[in-house]
Amino acid sequence: MRPLEGVRVADLTWLLAGAGGPRLLASLGAEVIRIEWKDRLDFLRYMPPFAPLKGEQAEKAGALEMTGLSKDSSKSVNRAGFFNDVNAGKRGISLNMGHPKGRELFKRLVGISDVVVEAFTAETMRKWGLGYEELKAIKNDIIYIQQPGWGYKGPYVKFVSYGPIAQAASGLTEQSGLPAPHPPAGWGFSYMDWSGAYYCAISMLCAIYYKKRTGKGQYIDCSQVEPGIYMTGTAILDSLVNGRPSHRTGNRSPAKPAAPHGSYRCAGEDRWIAIAVTNEEEWRALVQRMGNPAWTTQDRFATLSARVRHQDELDALVTAWTKEQEPFALQERLQKAGVPAGVCQTAQDRIERDPQLKHLQWLIPLPHSEIGVWLVKDVPFHFTNGTVNQGGPTERAAPCYGEDSDYVYGELLKLTKQERAELEKEGII
Amino acid sequence: MSGFLFDVKVLELADEKGEFCGKLLAGAGADVLKVEPPGGNSTRSLGPFYHDESHPDQSLYFWHYNFGKRGVTLDIHTPAGTDLLKKLIAESDVLLDTLPLGTLEKLGLDWNALQKINPRLIYVLLTPFGRSGPWRDYKANDLVHLALGGQMMCCGYSPQEDGTYETPPIAPQMWHAYHITGNQAFIATVGALIGREATGVGEMIEVPIHQAVSVCTEIDVPNWIYSQTACYRQTGRHAQPVIGPEVQFSTNDGRYSIILPNPFPGGYETIVSFLDGKGKAGDLTDKKYDDPTNRKGLAFAKHFANVQAECVAAFDMEEIWREGQNLGIPWSPIRQPAENLQDEQWQMRATFTEVEHPELGERFSYVGAPMLPHEVSWRTGPRAPVVGEHNEDVYGKQLGIEQDEMARLKEKGIV
Repeated sequence: MRPLEGVRVADLTWLLAGAGGPRLLASLGAEVIRIEWKDRLDFLRYMPPFAPLKGEQAEKAGALEMTGLSKDSSKSVNRAGFFNDVNAGKRGISLNMGHPKGRELFKRLVGISDVVVEAFTAETMRKWGLGYEELKAIKNDIIYIQQPGWGYKGPYVKFVSYGPIAQAASGLTEQSGLPAPHPPAGWGFSYMDWSGAYYCAISMLCAIYYKKRTGKGQYIDCSQVEPGIYMTGTAILDSLVNGRPSHRTGNRSPAKPAAPHGSYRCAGEDRWIAIAVTNEEEWRALVQRMGNPAWTTQDRFATLSARVRHQDELDALVTAWTKEQEPFALQERLQKAGVPAGVCQTAQDRIERDPQLKHLQWLIPLPHSEIGVWLVKDVPFHFTNGTVNQGGPTERAAPCYGEDSDYVYGELLKLTKQERAELEKEGII
Repeated sequence: MSGFLFDVKVLELADEKGEFCGKLLAGAGADVLKVEPPGGNSTRSLGPFYHDESHPDQSLYFWHYNFGKRGVTLDIHTPAGTDLLKKLIAESDVLLDTLPLGTLEKLGLDWNALQKINPRLIYVLLTPFGRSGPWRDYKANDLVHLALGGQMMCCGYSPQEDGTYETPPIAPQMWHAYHITGNQAFIATVGALIGREATGVGEMIEVPIHQAVSVCTEIDVPNWIYSQTACYRQTGRHAQPVIGPEVQFSTNDGRYSIILPNPFPGGYETIVSFLDGKGKAGDLTDKKYDDPTNRKGLAFAKHFANVQAECVAAFDMEEIWREGQNLGIPWSPIRQPAENLQDEQWQMRATFTEVEHPELGERFSYVGAPMLPHEVSWRTGPRAPVVGEHNEDVYGKQLGIEQDEMARLKEKGIV
């Protein structure tokens, strides 16, 4: 069985930091109902890449680009690849939360849900009369997860956050890159969107477990910045205890003496291999693989601490060797000799080449009602007994806009066909 | 108030690969018992150290990642040690294992044996690459995982004009491969605990670090799946199929800030009016830019970024960003981690917590909770255990081992 079977989540999130949390719960078997409205769709529905169309339609699709909040309904909003991945396993309904009747309908959904999770700007739900107290009045044991960027409590309640903002604020950006005077390199993706998603999922799961054991619901104020701060604890202690500011060390090892320790240029265009030598045994294996060059016998490379002291010279000499090597063959040879090494892999490498990821089935084919079957990233945890995968209870990738309105309004909320038709005419669903 | 996982007992056999997961479980309220070899875990040798003195009880790494846990020492590789381990497993809800592949199996503690000892056990096994497969025996550390997982090819500095790179891909320091894995393993573990409420039986979960890290990039994978488009790393911003405008700008005090475009209607006008208020709007107030068609394309985006850069350069890092945020401009200083200690937002949310170190007679600010619960509390202590701190409590009081037997085990180096 699926571990979260019987758990229902009303999902008012968007983007990755918001929508990624409920995604993880869907993989564990929760019924996640993603609520959307056509006038304010998730940007990710407009973000390339898109599933290609055939023939004439393909040309039109080429014109589809993210231009802020496009309201052009002639273009399909169901073809965006990243959205399809981020919302896999969820159900999807349309609901106009801006309309009082829409909010009444939402309250009925709250009545049959375990969790309400939202990522609106801070005061939205309260203005709608849907704050925690009101939700609790509808369902006494409801779990309410709120995700304003910097947190609901505190003077920054109205501040905006996206992944790169949370990375910068928390200190993670400053910690990434070559030593000053180089500027921070920061993060080439929204790490704090994924982390925001993890901590949204963590909050929901903690609260669901607590409810199973005590019968009580709760409210959690889940900021996107704090999980970043949580990961910088060692640097904060170093500053408090030793008065040492955090400093960037490139790819060198700040916590444990290691050398060589970095990414080294290989043959080919922009190809690099990470090598991490942490002890004498690995060093001897590396020296042997390099063909025992004379320079390795010099005093300045004789011990680990000497190598750490002479890393600039060491890195130049190692690079002189690696830059002639094909990276994947080098990785295999070094690993066979017991040297920790790995190519700096691109997405193409991981998708088309990496035999271990293939073996682990990290991408799974999931059907989508409009664009067909596409590969979606599965969750990286493998259960022995339980059924756990990113298809979730829907056994599907992301929902099309409003795809499950009939199921949710008809089967779950027992609205008649006529009632649904009227709501549609009024612009509620 | 007790924690979320108030009745969960975790047994941790973990090094840096799994200590973050254990820290989260402890933070969420579980009783986490860390089992270390006599003399202490290898991670006690990870720096930095209290006053830079290398000592098993003075690793700041260990303090942070083992906060709120209890600790015992045990040589699990001796028959008496294995017996004690079995007793501890029998009393646990979760066993977190990052030992080298096959270690527990060699002790006769494979999944079948574990289920016999404790049918309700959630066994969480973190492996570098998996229990099988062509890279099963590959060696890795944080750096190598972030290389193979794809993070490094997304992170770094922009290429030169001709498109070639002078600088290497960058692995953001530090321990993020294990942060990612710990988060995912925590999610799986609590999911399994919830599932156990219905089934009454345990679960074995494997989390390969390579897989956890590989699924934690963003648009590079869908770009390849849907359109076979590669993404190129660039300074301070997303790796993208094209080299986009800068978002990271230097400040007057030699630091950096980041400003992202506001995609909502009116977002552009807001920032131009803000820049204008500072006398730094350049030519952006020209009438021609009122027409959105004159604001399209990469050339304008780069020009827009240059104007913002000039404004940011005229002020110190902490000076004007709040003003911008109050108008809805996504803006942040690029802070050092410890600079957050002084921020009123985190003070009001009690993000940091004072922790006693009785062995030193000192107290320090630690990061407390990663979120703000209202009905339960995230753990606020105690500090990480010193070597063997809870041997007496656990072996004596909990397992009922007599004092002379304890003395014998100690003498033989088993505890």
